[in-house]
Amino acid sequence: MDAVERANAEHQKQWAKDQKIGEGTYAVVYRGREVSTGRKVAIKKIKVGQFKDGLDMSAIREVKYLRELKHQNVIELLDVFSSKTNLNLVLEFLDTDLELVIKDRSLVFLPADIKAWIAMTFRGLEFCHRNWILHRDLKPNNLLISANGQLKLADFGLARDFADPGYKMTHQVITRWYRPPELLFGARYYSTAVDIWSVGCIFAELMLRTPYLPGESDMDQVRTTFRALGTPTEEDWPGHKKLPDYFDAGQYPKTQLRDLFTAATTECLNLLAKCLIYDPYKRISAKEALFHPYFTAMPYPSHPSKLPKPAKKGSTLPLEEFDGNVDFEGAGPGVRANPPNKLKRKLSAEELGSRPLARRLDFSQHA
Amino acid sequence: MASVSLYPLASLEQIEKSPSREDGLSEGLEEDLRAFGCKLIHQAGVLLKQKQVAVATAQILFQRFWFVTSMKQFGIGDIGMGALYLASKLEECPIRMRDLINVYDLLLQRTAHTLAVQTTSPHKGEFKYAPMSYFGNTFYDLKDALVVAEMQILKRLGFQVHVVLPYGTLVNYLRVLGLTSREDVCSRAWGYLNDALQTPVYALYPVPTIVSAAILLTTRFLGIPLPSTPPNCWWELFDANWEDVWSVCGYIMRLYRPRPLEDQTRVLGMVSKKGVRQWLEDNPPSRST
Repeated sequence: MDAVERANAEHQKQWAKDQKIGEGTYAVVYRGREVSTGRKVAIKKIKVGQFKDGLDMSAIREVKYLRELKHQNVIELLDVFSSKTNLNLVLEFLDTDLELVIKDRSLVFLPADIKAWIAMTFRGLEFCHRNWILHRDLKPNNLLISANGQLKLADFGLARDFADPGYKMTHQVITRWYRPPELLFGARYYSTAVDIWSVGCIFAELMLRTPYLPGESDMDQVRTTFRALGTPTEEDWPGHKKLPDYFDAGQYPKTQLRDLFTAATTECLNLLAKCLIYDPYKRISAKEALFHPYFTAMPYPSHPSKLPKPAKKGSTLPLEEFDGNVDFEGAGPGVRANPPNKLKRKLSAEELGSRPLARRLDFSQHA
Repeated sequence: MASVSLYPLASLEQIEKSPSREDGLSEGLEEDLRAFGCKLIHQAGVLLKQKQVAVATAQILFQRFWFVTSMKQFGIGDIGMGALYLASKLEECPIRMRDLINVYDLLLQRTAHTLAVQTTSPHKGEFKYAPMSYFGNTFYDLKDALVVAEMQILKRLGFQVHVVLPYGTLVNYLRVLGLTSREDVCSRAWGYLNDALQTPVYALYPVPTIVSAAILLTTRFLGIPLPSTPPNCWWELFDANWEDVWSVCGYIMRLYRPRPLEDQTRVLGMVSKKGVRQWLEDNPPSRST
């Protein structure tokens, strides 16, 4: 046993695995604790070996980015160690996620609560963007909530740093309902604006208590988006008709957000509208959003400890809290964007157009 | 975030006594093996048309690896292959396992051929590549080695896989020194940075020091005077100190020195850990120190 093996064994000894709480395509998640303090943790064991391509990209991304990011509103990677042929990520344990909160009908949200959640989301996201990292899979069940109410960005399995200008990135990212129009049209050069659109959708979902743009397929997602926000003109979004997968989704009239979000304040709708601007260049940035008057207007955001939380029940959490690949609850979209750079086959444009559903798994039958 | 904390550097203890030297490899031999391993990575990268960013990242991970592991334990061929595979994923341009394995198989066969020509049978003729069979053992053996290497690199580097490449810094420094209009300066300095990837300097010194060394070599070669007498030393502008810069220059220049055929051949037989072990048996450590 050399120095490295000894160091690894030391790390391993610090953490104890308890029961399994879920399983995803590339990982098994256990509840665990720190031996010396008894502090609860989540241990994500990455399966290796049965995969043809060595270690999964998502696992590598998660290790790469979470090692770097330390922020109150980003999930903390406490340790990494390997056991035999497996890779183990030790993450902080979080009680619940925003999706469970939204779905819990017994909870009532005050405008101040929504403001607090959105503020924490933007704070975490601004930190990622400031460090040149795109999250690329923001959705309510990747926003975890700690015992003291802090919201944290989790699941960096699709994250990446900004590509050098001129390098293509995959457009097969972000769960469909939260995917911005430029990705739906197949843009291969994009930036932080994609995450902002997702936050906009989450913002709307917090107010509506139901997903804002629930498209049934990639093409339907475009129509759903246009139905809700109106078909963009060339003036609204210059150049969008030249995107690789552009198609004419039909003409829908512009609508007023006010008609749907009747109870929202002017500042609130102003920020929401800026997150959902079609032209990615004009969409608000995370930093600008933090300075938006919405956050300084009355009512002030609720203190995290005062935010509504679902009642404790059974205390077993569904796995998707840690890994968006599987959706046991069945009521969600049941889809997540294909991990990018899948080597086996690339989807051609016409394939995307002709059978948008066939290559996606739909778990909604499961429940 | 301070730029220093972004990438790990070897500790003094690791530099003074690398694991391979502990096991009895001489300093010069370890240096040769490192350089050869990096050349293989580079050649594989070219054949695979891989992005240079990923190739450079792989070479730096490879260099770091040998500060925590001995070449008696893992071969430079396997680890080089693993480093290129891992770096391709880290840089978001993954390559197919089979492509990588085929390319490495070709490179290893060529190495073995060169070795045979230079030692046992000088008249073996031209190199002919014999492709492996699709489901043959060669493939599965190399594949296993690749999966193990990828995991071992991650594990032994403590899952710190962040690499900072020097090119952006070079552009900035040349701009500060007003040298960007000289094309010969830019391409030569850039070239030194690439060659330096075959040495351990990226695991030893911070990026500004390495870039300063590349600029120093370039300006000396082309005879361009820069303020170099205290208190006006140009490298101090970039937080580098003379001893370090000079040492990096030494590492780079050692790559170019003419080598006896014997030294060149010695390396070819030590690409696998088996070769290294054989060599250690034939040359017991007590003698080489």
